[in-house]
Amino acid sequence: MPVITLQKDRFSKFVGRSLTIDEMVKWLPWLGVDIEEVGENYVKIEFNPNRVDFSSYAGVARAFQGLIGWKVGMPEYKVHKGTIKLEVDASVNQVRPYMLSAVVKDINLDEENVKEIMEMQEDLHWGVGRDRKKAAIGVHNFDVVKPPFKYLAADPDNVRFVPLGKREKMTLREILEKHEKGIAYKHLIEWSPKYPLFIDADGNVLSMPPIINGELTKVTSETRNLLLDVTGPDFKAVKQALNVLVTALADMGGKIETVQVEYPDKTITSPDLTPQKMTLNSSYVNELLGLKLSSRKIVEYLRKCRLNAEENVDGKINVEIPAYRIDILHEVDLVEEVAIGYGYYRLKPSKPKTVTTGSLHEATRLSNVIREILVGLGFTEVMNFTLINSEVQYEKMRKKPEKTVKLANPSSSEYDVARTSLLPSLMKNLMDNKHESFPQKIFEVSDVIKVNEKMECRTERQLHLAGVSSHSTANFSEIKSTVEALLKNLGLKGWKIKPFKDSSFIDGRTAAITIKNMRIGVLGEIHPEVITNFELENPVCGFELNLEPFL
Amino acid sequence: MVKVRENEHKILLTLKRFDGKALLDQVVKETSLSDATVMKAALTLEKKKLVKVSERKKTIIELNKEGELHAERGLPERLLVNALAKLGGEASISKVVQKAELEEKFVPIALGWLRKKGWVLFDTKTGKLKLLGKVEGVDEKLLSLLKEKGKLVVEDLSSKMRSAAKILKRRKLLRVSEKKEKIIEITDEGWKALKKGVKVEVEITQLTPELIITGKWRKVKLTKFDVTAPSPTVYPAKVHPVQQIIRRIKEIFAEMGFTEIRGPIVETAFWNFDALFQPQDHPAREMHDTFYLEYPKAGKLPEKSIVEKVAKTHEDGWKTGSKGWKYRWSPEEAKRLILRTHTTATTIRYLAEHHEPPIKVFSVDRVYRNEKMNYKSLFEFHQIEGIIMDKHVTFRDLIGTLKEFYSKLGLKKVKFWPSYFPYTEPSAQSTVYIPEHKKWFELCGMGMFRPEVLKPLGIKYPVLAWGGGLERLIMLKLGLDDIRLLYKNDLGWIRRTVICQ
Repeated sequence: MPVITLQKDRFSKFVGRSLTIDEMVKWLPWLGVDIEEVGENYVKIEFNPNRVDFSSYAGVARAFQGLIGWKVGMPEYKVHKGTIKLEVDASVNQVRPYMLSAVVKDINLDEENVKEIMEMQEDLHWGVGRDRKKAAIGVHNFDVVKPPFKYLAADPDNVRFVPLGKREKMTLREILEKHEKGIAYKHLIEWSPKYPLFIDADGNVLSMPPIINGELTKVTSETRNLLLDVTGPDFKAVKQALNVLVTALADMGGKIETVQVEYPDKTITSPDLTPQKMTLNSSYVNELLGLKLSSRKIVEYLRKCRLNAEENVDGKINVEIPAYRIDILHEVDLVEEVAIGYGYYRLKPSKPKTVTTGSLHEATRLSNVIREILVGLGFTEVMNFTLINSEVQYEKMRKKPEKTVKLANPSSSEYDVARTSLLPSLMKNLMDNKHESFPQKIFEVSDVIKVNEKMECRTERQLHLAGVSSHSTANFSEIKSTVEALLKNLGLKGWKIKPFKDSSFIDGRTAAITIKNMRIGVLGEIHPEVITNFELENPVCGFELNLEPFL
Repeated sequence: MVKVRENEHKILLTLKRFDGKALLDQVVKETSLSDATVMKAALTLEKKKLVKVSERKKTIIELNKEGELHAERGLPERLLVNALAKLGGEASISKVVQKAELEEKFVPIALGWLRKKGWVLFDTKTGKLKLLGKVEGVDEKLLSLLKEKGKLVVEDLSSKMRSAAKILKRRKLLRVSEKKEKIIEITDEGWKALKKGVKVEVEITQLTPELIITGKWRKVKLTKFDVTAPSPTVYPAKVHPVQQIIRRIKEIFAEMGFTEIRGPIVETAFWNFDALFQPQDHPAREMHDTFYLEYPKAGKLPEKSIVEKVAKTHEDGWKTGSKGWKYRWSPEEAKRLILRTHTTATTIRYLAEHHEPPIKVFSVDRVYRNEKMNYKSLFEFHQIEGIIMDKHVTFRDLIGTLKEFYSKLGLKKVKFWPSYFPYTEPSAQSTVYIPEHKKWFELCGMGMFRPEVLKPLGIKYPVLAWGGGLERLIMLKLGLDDIRLLYKNDLGWIRRTVICQ
């Protein structure tokens, strides 16, 4: 989750009151952020990915003011009509079709602001832009370029400019191949014959979206007027990213001016900070939260969350949502706002009137009975992952590989397939416990996953039971006695032990366990080659049963 | 005269036969008594200052695979030197190697040792080897001894043989293991006592059926034991510590009226994500968070009417009153098979099929995330999840239910904060005070399912949900700082861990 470090004094300036660290620690969590770290002069918070507006001091401060009641209702942002034009050329349609823009004038930047804008840009790239895929932002020094601007798709080899942080001019293709940002993000455009480019009236390059800005328009603490560009294939995301950024810059003291963005078929005045409108039913709020709030109170709580709200003639509540609140999709999101405005700390626990009787799943019930029997027989339970290494599962067990669930992206080669049997896990456990005292008797009652093309998920989860016993005199009759004791104590009828062949066991010392002629398991002495494969020295006898027929 | 018991006397006499000093194993063998009996008697004798019990390290060597090969046919240099002799005592290296039929990989080693042992001279002019000698070395003697005996104890070997063992070890022909063994030795005082003669008291250590039946027990003296003396350690077989806690948590759910549900581990992205209104470009769905399958790749989607409603809800909100995510929903993406990332996939399947209120279900079951395993994270773990669906249940009911759940786990102090989950609204996070640590910890997240989740599946009533990681709770309860220990199946740890109560 994204984080932001709030320096006490700077945060106080944004809130408009002098705060103590204690006050910050006390109130911030009630906004729905986690306190990560508290220092003498700062509080580091982690915010949820839906609240990208918390990626700036201004954003957190707005919400903070509301929660305490110092400033309520929707913050108003004045958008001045500007004269700047930006042409979106039809050539970008194939690669990255949308661009929106805004101008922010007379902003008083210091080192802190510049750093914050950069960090905010990163948070938006991630939170809204999905790592620049859906939207990417460029922030430029407006005073070094000349309108009107143009967004177009350019030939990769014909245009050269100095990318941010470099001294040499590079072609667009060279940037993708050599520049660290180019390498990181080339997958977003390299498939296109032409690459996106943002230029001014003289053909100076502002940026190569979504890869890198030009060194020319670099923003420093000296910069006073900003030009913003947001590009992407997803118009909604482009608009959201711009709105969150531009409102935060306005809170830093900037004056927002519009840009006329001219598409081949339409002209858009950008930014568009028109609030979203919704209607909320008081009864809906009260039903969900289990409260009995009057409409007047609900209005009050919504306003504490920096929304505009008023009761209309139908007794419903009209709500206006500021443009930076991109997380509100549905009336239900407003219900949570009411709860936050009311204060989670005031929500009294209640008991649901629902009356039901509880029960355990048959698989749990059976497993618990089996645990009791096997512990009684001197076996200790182990718990292994259902993911395993295919060599352990097959080669080491002297088995031929079969069709198995195989991961496309394993996090480690040690766990690349799903296990189809428990015995390999148990052999591995014995191997890991060679230094412990013998006899070692262990069992596992748990899941295996088998491929079954008939199923909806083409696999089947099966409950299995397996046990092994290892010591200097472990043998067939020991494990046969164990399995028979288990089957008898489970009250099962009609089971038989029959001769059987299984390559993991010694031939002539292997048996199948059947019920009504259906084979449900195997038992016997583990093959010495398997024992050696697991670097063991003592004989091992073991068994495995499929428990699905009993569920 | 010193008084000793029968077993003690037996041991003293045995030791005397071994010139006063013997290994525990030797005494056990000679006396036919059990390990524990000999040790117990020896310790009593030690208390009486008649013997001294000490420990020594025992290094056992045996041949490894390569060692066995060389023991069978001779060391590589031996093969070469024999071949050279057969070739008349002078020949080129390649001829000698060919004659000896020595494998390529052994040639450099063999040449090195030939020189070191001074068996040959290499004539740089002719490029030929000249035979100087071929006396069997002590290393070869040890090799054949090992072949014959299998295992040898280094400490028992002569000093020559010990240095040979060092050489063979360096040549990586041996498997070496160490054991400790106990030595019992008669002290000066013991010798004096033996000289004077000891009085043997007939005492019975083990009460037998015979003594009981015949009534002889009345006539014999039953040894008074040193009840504080150490007795051998035994371990109870037991249920795995994690399972003990799972069992308790499942009981709590059942006591609270919840029914356990169980669903597929390999799941379609549809039930794991799409049905829960997680957009198809959500970061949680990416390869570095979720395990996708190489085989089988894709599963089946449920009936068309459900799929269409879910798709529409993602695209523009359908009839749910939502704005939706505004993108083109792909059925192919939804068919992809994954390892479920949360048990909520099973919950939503259940709710899609069971519309009649009330429903109270739970699971404590396996889930998967594409994480590197380290001290604080696993790629496979357990999620605890509780669900209530009924007419008129509220967010406050959810808080109340979770509070009761925690309280049954012995956690009485709980706080609830605003939070965010993609499929619940309102949502909350709970922090719990754990007295053992004197600190607050984040445990379960919770919320009410969004209308975008409920309506497409025809669920008419509010759904309360909460969930959290089981392992985190266990770590806090057991005071562990490495999560991997839970599934390492270290028998020592399982044997030592106190049973959950």
